Amino acid sequence: MANTQLKTAWTHIRRSPFQAMAALFVLSITFFVITFLSIITYSSGQVLRYFETRPQVIAFLKDDTTAESISTLQNKLKADERVDEVDFISKEEALEIYKKATADNPLLSELVSPSIFPASLEVSLTDLSYAQDVIKELKSDEIVEQVGFTASLGGEDTLGDVVSRLRTITWYLRIGGGTFALLLASTSFLVLIIIISMRLTTRRGEIEILKLIGATPAFIRNPIILEALIYASCGVVVGWLITLIIVLYATPSLILYFGDIPILPRDAVQLLSIFGIILLGELLVGLFLALTGSILAVSRVRRKG
Amino acid sequence: MLEFKNVTKKFGDIVAVEDISFEVNDGGFLFIMGPSGAGKTTLIRLILREFKPDKGEIMFNRENIAELPAKKIPKLRQQMGVVFQDFKVLPESTLRENVEVALAVVGLPKEEWDARVDHVLKLVELDKRADLFPSQLSGGELQRLSLARALVVNPKIILADEPTGNLDWDTADKIMDLFEKINKEGKTIIMATHHKLIVDKLGKNVIRIKDGKIVEGGKIKKKSAKDISKKTEKDISEEKEDDSEDSKKDENNDDKKVKIDKEN
Repeated sequence: MANTQLKTAWTHIRRSPFQAMAALFVLSITFFVITFLSIITYSSGQVLRYFETRPQVIAFLKDDTTAESISTLQNKLKADERVDEVDFISKEEALEIYKKATADNPLLSELVSPSIFPASLEVSLTDLSYAQDVIKELKSDEIVEQVGFTASLGGEDTLGDVVSRLRTITWYLRIGGGTFALLLASTSFLVLIIIISMRLTTRRGEIEILKLIGATPAFIRNPIILEALIYASCGVVVGWLITLIIVLYATPSLILYFGDIPILPRDAVQLLSIFGIILLGELLVGLFLALTGSILAVSRVRRKG
Repeated sequence: MLEFKNVTKKFGDIVAVEDISFEVNDGGFLFIMGPSGAGKTTLIRLILREFKPDKGEIMFNRENIAELPAKKIPKLRQQMGVVFQDFKVLPESTLRENVEVALAVVGLPKEEWDARVDHVLKLVELDKRADLFPSQLSGGELQRLSLARALVVNPKIILADEPTGNLDWDTADKIMDLFEKINKEGKTIIMATHHKLIVDKLGKNVIRIKDGKIVEGGKIKKKSAKDISKKTEKDISEEKEDDSEDSKKDENNDDKKVKIDKEN
């Protein structure tokens, strides 16, 4: 029975190819945008996490500091709930960092020695809101010469600027993108209802004949619902596939541009897993839209007729 | 098999049928005769439960279908085969598909379709045209297709509403031969028609309806082909209902209930 109804649905799609293409086109665009926005939201979330968990505070230590007092401060910070991670950077390690940063100009690193670099403690916080207090406490410690910030563009007044900016961008992406996606999904829903209603109106005579020879409402309705489900699944897959191809194509360039920032997983399996989860979610949404739209269209036409 | 008990149906102020009573047993063949607007089609549509009667009962296999809930109506119709005046075939399906759809409707497994479809198409002599579309068929062939679709589900009863209404005499004659053949095999047939010559040709039971009421009922004498062939086609199309001397009046039935049994 299901086979017959699937065959009927397919026959109807073939009979009106332009209507089918219109539905497919609208749904493909909708789910292309949704997939794209999902990836951007994921990436912005990753970037935000990256900056939030990087060492935000650097406490530069005085030259005469002993290893014991450094260890004491380090343990004190590790025990602090506000602190996520504490790393000690020795003078030699500081020189290596400098050399890496000036790798394109080796002359600069030849002129320096480790002694000019202070040892430091790099502190990552669990939440940036603790930063002000932690900085104050570090400044008051006797072994700390100076306190600075990584990934920031200035001093305390611009604290968390980058993170704050990223949070705002991510928020706008989520809200704006979500609204846009909802708009497109609503358009797809309406297009589905219209196309299904047109189908039913065109098939009115055929439906009357089927009723007279004993067709149940389900017999008449099921091929129509199946048709809508076919449109939705194909639309989802096409939109998703286009986004996947674009992302796969752009990933090497993006990784090169963003460097250490994990904007997208570098592991292909992980990347495909993310896309797999997105596909699953979109299929559920698409099938829900198709089911609801077709049932609504059928009940509308039945009420009229 | 089927019994109408004092059935009345009105559409607004218009009385379509009034106090109709008749009974058709298994294997019976009944003509419902009357001019246009007499109520013939209304009776067929009442059996199909397109609407409910305002009064009375319609017993089909001992069940009052007048009181049937809407969700059981498809099941009722699946037990009937219907042949319409305007054929009512699916224009974008082949002949075979048109017949198969009836089997799909009743839920018969697909493995059993081919044998049944081949059988009925052969019966109506359309087996060699199975892959054609309705637009490629003549009126007579379309009516035979409609009959094939009605037969394929092995119905308990066949309802025919003016099956020869759109056909010329020769084609109508052939169609009626088919109906007679099917009836001889045991199928119960109820046919609404205004073609007196067709009724005369078969000599079956008939009830005459006028203004929604039974005015006459019983078995008529079969006329010979020679007597019928004397009529021209013009005469056939202009044939009016009259009190034919061949019709027997049902004088003993005061409430005009007519009982139709299987032909011997």
